[in-house]
Amino acid sequence: MVQINLPENSKVQKGHYYKDKTGSKNIRKINVYRWDPSSGENPRVDTYEVDMDNCPSKVLDVLNKIKNEIDPTLSYRKSCAHGVCGSCAMNMDGKNGLACTTSHADIDGDINIYPLPHLKVKKDLIGDLDGLYKQYESIEPWLKNNSKNNNDEIYQSKKDREKLDGAYECIMCACCSTSCPSYWWNGDKYLGPAVLLQAYRWIIDSRDEDRKERLQKVADELKLYRCHTILNCTNACPKGLNPAKAIAEIKKMLATT
Amino acid sequence: MENNSPLSPHIQVYKWHVSSLVSIVTRITGIINILAITLICFWFAFLLFGESNYQLIKLFLNSFFGKFIAIGITWSFSFQVLSEIRHLIMDLGYGFEIKTSNLTGMIVIIFSFILTILIYLLGRQFI
Repeated sequence: MVQINLPENSKVQKGHYYKDKTGSKNIRKINVYRWDPSSGENPRVDTYEVDMDNCPSKVLDVLNKIKNEIDPTLSYRKSCAHGVCGSCAMNMDGKNGLACTTSHADIDGDINIYPLPHLKVKKDLIGDLDGLYKQYESIEPWLKNNSKNNNDEIYQSKKDREKLDGAYECIMCACCSTSCPSYWWNGDKYLGPAVLLQAYRWIIDSRDEDRKERLQKVADELKLYRCHTILNCTNACPKGLNPAKAIAEIKKMLATT
Repeated sequence: MENNSPLSPHIQVYKWHVSSLVSIVTRITGIINILAITLICFWFAFLLFGESNYQLIKLFLNSFFGKFIAIGITWSFSFQVLSEIRHLIMDLGYGFEIKTSNLTGMIVIIFSFILTILIYLLGRQFI
């Protein structure tokens, strides 16, 4: 259901203001969404003044600086810091992306940092992605080959292999799915761009023998056809992939077979 | 504790861009068009009940508010038609690249106004 307003316990309040203590002249204001599960209070937005003269180039560096030097209670996910693991996906300046690959120089004015949109917040910038992982599991993202010779190598032509380009690179960071308004309103039923891109990846894999069943499984009013080509997903993808096109290809396959 | 978890902000913080804007306007114009078609059906039904009704509708359509409605509906239909053509092309699997979709989205927005002006000029027999 479309619910424009946030529920009562999710309304964001004004938070603390952390003034700069270094005396630097190159200061930037960073507004960060905070929620502490033990406080029982509504979420708030804290503002930090950060000395940009001694800060590396990415938004993740800014967050690290805040955590190390200003406020150690700030929580966020991170791991590789090189755009490979997808842990630090968040909403920066109104757009989803990876904090480790987004340059703060590309953002004008104050930097607003929120968790990925329309998720249950666990703490601060950490959203609950369990629902998405369950949906990912539901498309059975593994090779299904029922041929007798299980030990034989399965050959794939270069051409068939190329079909997977633009689909296998997905790191499941959830930037696309949580940017999608359809997924906000129907996230319990609609699979969302990330999972559908993976469904597509297995449907077009020449080595997979379950193509028909896979297609039938996603051919559902709510699972697939809630995509209304808003293209927030393609605009959000930090790896430059195109989930919207993959969804369109699935629709096309269903219409032509 | 888990049940108390807040929902992270979504539409409140997410930035708009061309294709999301075109998408939402398509939905809104769709609803307007359904209402407009209903309205037009009522006008036709009224005409069946005699000439005095025709005068009334004519009076209404010549008022400022009536003109606003007529031109508004023209724009809404123009937008819907162009946006649906864009959707048809997308259904064929084309135009999903960010640059292309922004371009086609801008074309839809700009040409919806141009088409409205054209229809107005044609209707007024200026061209």
